[in-house]
Amino acid sequence: MKPAPALAEGFPDLSGMRIAREPHWFRWLSAALIVLVLAAIARAFANGQIEWSYVGRFLTVKVILEGTVNTMVMAVLAMMLGIFLGIVVAIMRLSPNPVLKSVAAGYTWLFRGTPLILQLLLWFNLALVFPTIGIPGLWSARAVDVMTPFLAALLGLGINQGAYTSEVMRAGMLSVDVGQYEAAQAIGMGRLRALRRIVLPQAMRVVIPPLGNEFIGMVKATSLASVIQYPELLHNAENIYYANSRVIELLIVAGLWYLLVVSILTPLQMLLERRFARGTLRPAR
Amino acid sequence: MTKPLVAIRSVSKSFGEFQALKNVSLDVWPGEVMCLIGASGSGKTTLLRCINQLTTIDAGGIWLDGELLGVREHGGRLHRLSEQQIGRQRLKTGMVFQRFNLFPHKTALENITEGPTQVQGRKADEVRAEALELLRRVGLAAKADSYPAQLSGGQQQRVAIARALAMKPMLMLFDEPTSALDPELVGEVLAVMKELAKSGMTMMVVTHELGFAREVADRVVYMDQGAIVEQGRASDVLGAPREERTKAFLSAVI
Amino acid sequence: MTRLSFSLAVATLAAVTSARAAELPAEIKQAGALKLTVNSTYAPMEYRDPATGELVGLDIDLANELAKRLGGLKIVWSETPFAELIPSLQTKRADFIISGIQDRSSRRETADFIDYLTTGPQFFVLTENTAKVATDLCGKKVGTTRSTAFPLEIEKWSKQNCEAAGKPAIQYVPGENSIDVRNQLKQGRIDAAVQGSETLPYAQTQETGKYRVIGEQLSTGYQGIMFRKDDAALREVVTEKLAAMIADGAYKAILDKWGLGANAVAQPMLNAASQ
Repeated sequence: MKPAPALAEGFPDLSGMRIAREPHWFRWLSAALIVLVLAAIARAFANGQIEWSYVGRFLTVKVILEGTVNTMVMAVLAMMLGIFLGIVVAIMRLSPNPVLKSVAAGYTWLFRGTPLILQLLLWFNLALVFPTIGIPGLWSARAVDVMTPFLAALLGLGINQGAYTSEVMRAGMLSVDVGQYEAAQAIGMGRLRALRRIVLPQAMRVVIPPLGNEFIGMVKATSLASVIQYPELLHNAENIYYANSRVIELLIVAGLWYLLVVSILTPLQMLLERRFARGTLRPAR
Repeated sequence: MTKPLVAIRSVSKSFGEFQALKNVSLDVWPGEVMCLIGASGSGKTTLLRCINQLTTIDAGGIWLDGELLGVREHGGRLHRLSEQQIGRQRLKTGMVFQRFNLFPHKTALENITEGPTQVQGRKADEVRAEALELLRRVGLAAKADSYPAQLSGGQQQRVAIARALAMKPMLMLFDEPTSALDPELVGEVLAVMKELAKSGMTMMVVTHELGFAREVADRVVYMDQGAIVEQGRASDVLGAPREERTKAFLSAVI
Repeated sequence: MTRLSFSLAVATLAAVTSARAAELPAEIKQAGALKLTVNSTYAPMEYRDPATGELVGLDIDLANELAKRLGGLKIVWSETPFAELIPSLQTKRADFIISGIQDRSSRRETADFIDYLTTGPQFFVLTENTAKVATDLCGKKVGTTRSTAFPLEIEKWSKQNCEAAGKPAIQYVPGENSIDVRNQLKQGRIDAAVQGSETLPYAQTQETGKYRVIGEQLSTGYQGIMFRKDDAALREVVTEKLAAMIADGAYKAILDKWGLGANAVAQPMLNAASQ
């Protein structure tokens, strides 16, 4: 066995030297500038024509709190409806059956292709088209009695959300390696069972970040239901400023509550992401 | 005379312009260990996947345990079977994939119990006991509650073999089971396969491991460009091949 | 409002306008145009002609005539929701407001009104409704535009006329604007609606025989042209021109054109509403 060759000259041993810390001048400068700009903005608002006492007074008033609760309730329920529809439609879209595929594509096209506020107005005013609704022979009712602001908001928001969620779900399911589906088939599973037990659970990991985003968007989309008289946060804040003309102050009150809700939801979404990454984030030996 | 377990008659399959199988016919006998060798694109994996219907054939017929797969004959024409019927036919085979395809969101034990409990509707505790026994058989009893991400490639593949065996198939299909493994892990998987062969399981193995073929195979089938070129005893095909193409392939591989 | 305060209002106005010929503020003269905001969902006062999309209405006609008489000024209109009208005056986005807005003491903290049309909230129902008198609406669902002062009017009227008589209170149902409210009436979501009385003749010509007015106005008041409190000069010159329009019949002609001759005032009045 030959001995290791002697190392060439001219390359000193640097192992004893430490790397000096960089002063990062530009970072300090830009940080100082940003702080100055923010301070100027804050000062402008403080000196502007805003009666902050009104903001404080109405921040925790009963109708505002009720509005916030109603916003959350609607966001959660509409999102649940949206996720349910999204899964169903995504499965239909990936089905070999051309009828199911077309229905799914048509649903997505229709509800992504029209503005949400338009859909809400249509649902709320459904009785203009169908004064009575029901199942012939079994039950009928006046559409206006059935289509309350709550139901119109739920259907409008949920069905619209389903169209977007179905695309997210479809992408998630397609992201699962086809080998997983084949392995499920190899042990005798049919298409739906394989989707339910093997593909969907794995798709969830990919699907949670965009769905979490969609939910945060939904919380704010509920404000559109104010025009169909659903008593959510914006609607109730508007009612107050219609009476006392304090437009900016009440909008700030509503804005603060929306910010609070979203700030609580964001870390919760991260916790959910981690739960669904179970089994895949642990390092392989 | 006993009937072959698998009877493949005049099977062809194309993917668009490319013909993967050209009029292939073959018998596989019960208890036989058959190794399929050949270059990639030769059709050996396609043939395997036609047997458990992950790929549907364009022409010809495959009988498994005497039953025609995927179609039934009626009034002189062939009618496709329903998804459920095909699923039922798949239960007679077990497949081991090149990339393992273990379910990553389930533990090793859960991977094995999934089929019997969900598809065959068997009792959970019975299935669990059998699954633990299978894990012991493949040497992984201690890893029952580990997730696939915590296992090495060789360990995952052994769990995959146990998963396929849990369904009590009459035929085991192996699609290049060691091709995706680091060299030092290949041995443990081959050991399990040898033990399985010794226990009398009918096996069709697509592989590049010619040493394994020589040691364990009852028959070696060499395929090229969608057709069977040569088949026979391992010592004959691998040691003294008759066809030129077989010779060329072997000299390139060894 | 009392006869005394009414006379005082007229007298003050007469004194002010006759003392000196009022002057148009310099910026407006220089710009050669008036900036006005309007909420155009309120036929026949201000609305978009469905055929042409043009801004039309009684207020538009009055404003155009005033602008002509103020020295051939142009008008630059901008649309806002009803609730934004007052803020637009405060932020000087508008020189004054003439947009079907009622003179109310609650609005006089930072503004003055020149009253130019009588008005008042009015109940109305679908013609086939069985209600005959206003008190038939006690306990029923009554809708109105939520961004106006009408919800409060309904509540007040209900207390005085329903609950005081032992009947159930009127159930107020909010709507986004007068069209939305009429939609809800047609669908049966509400049994009756409340709108400014000036809008009803128009609604009835649009959909003949569909609606029926019921009972008296809940209260009487005035529509006013709204000015900033510190903008006395502009207010005086506009008042002067409006008085001239009333005197030479141009005002009456416009009102008659829109079917509201009955809502005319004899003189423009300053902050004359008693509510």
